[in-house]
Amino acid sequence: MAKNVLLVDDSSTMRKIISRSLRQAGLDFGEIYEAGDGQEALAVLEKESIDIVLSDINMPNMNGIEFLREKSNRPGIKDIPVFMISTETGEDIIGEAKSLGAVGALKKPFTPDKVNEVLGPLM
Amino acid sequence: MELEKNLIDATLEVFASMIFIDIVPESPADHPGDEPDANVFSLIGLAGDLKGILTIQCPAEVALGVTGAMLGMEVTELGEDVKDAIGEITNMVAGGLKVALADAGRKIELAIPSTVIGKSIRTSGLSGATRASVRFASPLGRFAVELRFVLS
Repeated sequence: MAKNVLLVDDSSTMRKIISRSLRQAGLDFGEIYEAGDGQEALAVLEKESIDIVLSDINMPNMNGIEFLREKSNRPGIKDIPVFMISTETGEDIIGEAKSLGAVGALKKPFTPDKVNEVLGPLM
Repeated sequence: MELEKNLIDATLEVFASMIFIDIVPESPADHPGDEPDANVFSLIGLAGDLKGILTIQCPAEVALGVTGAMLGMEVTELGEDVKDAIGEITNMVAGGLKVALADAGRKIELAIPSTVIGKSIRTSGLSGATRASVRFASPLGRFAVELRFVLS
């Protein structure tokens, strides 16, 4: 069954690009939901049926690391997989994200081919 | 450090991967004293082993064309879409610079980008800073990427 995706990024442009890249990559997904920061993402996860989250790290209000930490404390949503899409590629911050449950990371900028390569197995 | 080369490489990667507009770095000697008139000015703060401000400065026609290319639609107004798109480009160029600096053993942190729209925008501050600046030519016009920095 096609998976519902939540895109979390403070840039509306980036959310549109990721959404378009998913389509261009030919990946099979259901509904796409959007959030502008970690707080908004938590609210969407509590309300909607989301199968996978694609999240930025550097965001105002609640960043991607804080989002992962808070999500891990909420029993109803803690097992929903999160994939990081960010300019942050340092081993320390990606390592921290993975220790909090992130299942992988994709560096910005990216091409649709790269999206297909790294996200295809998750879809 | 090869900061101008780092800026060029990071900017070329962003445009090749996500914007699909051909851009060519120019030598400052090609246009001495001829700075692009910036209507859109995006900046991001850098902290850590290198403190400073990375900016992208572009005229309206470049900002509108680049935003349209990123969104896959025609953009005719200098508004929130333009501010968001140019800010995200600045964020990604800074991210590329961060990776290059990490490879050189220098660790930096990035702030959240800010973008303003206006006429003949200039910046000041960061006294004693060194400047690394690159101009790019594109089919839409010319724009500038600049880093003012102090090494810690």
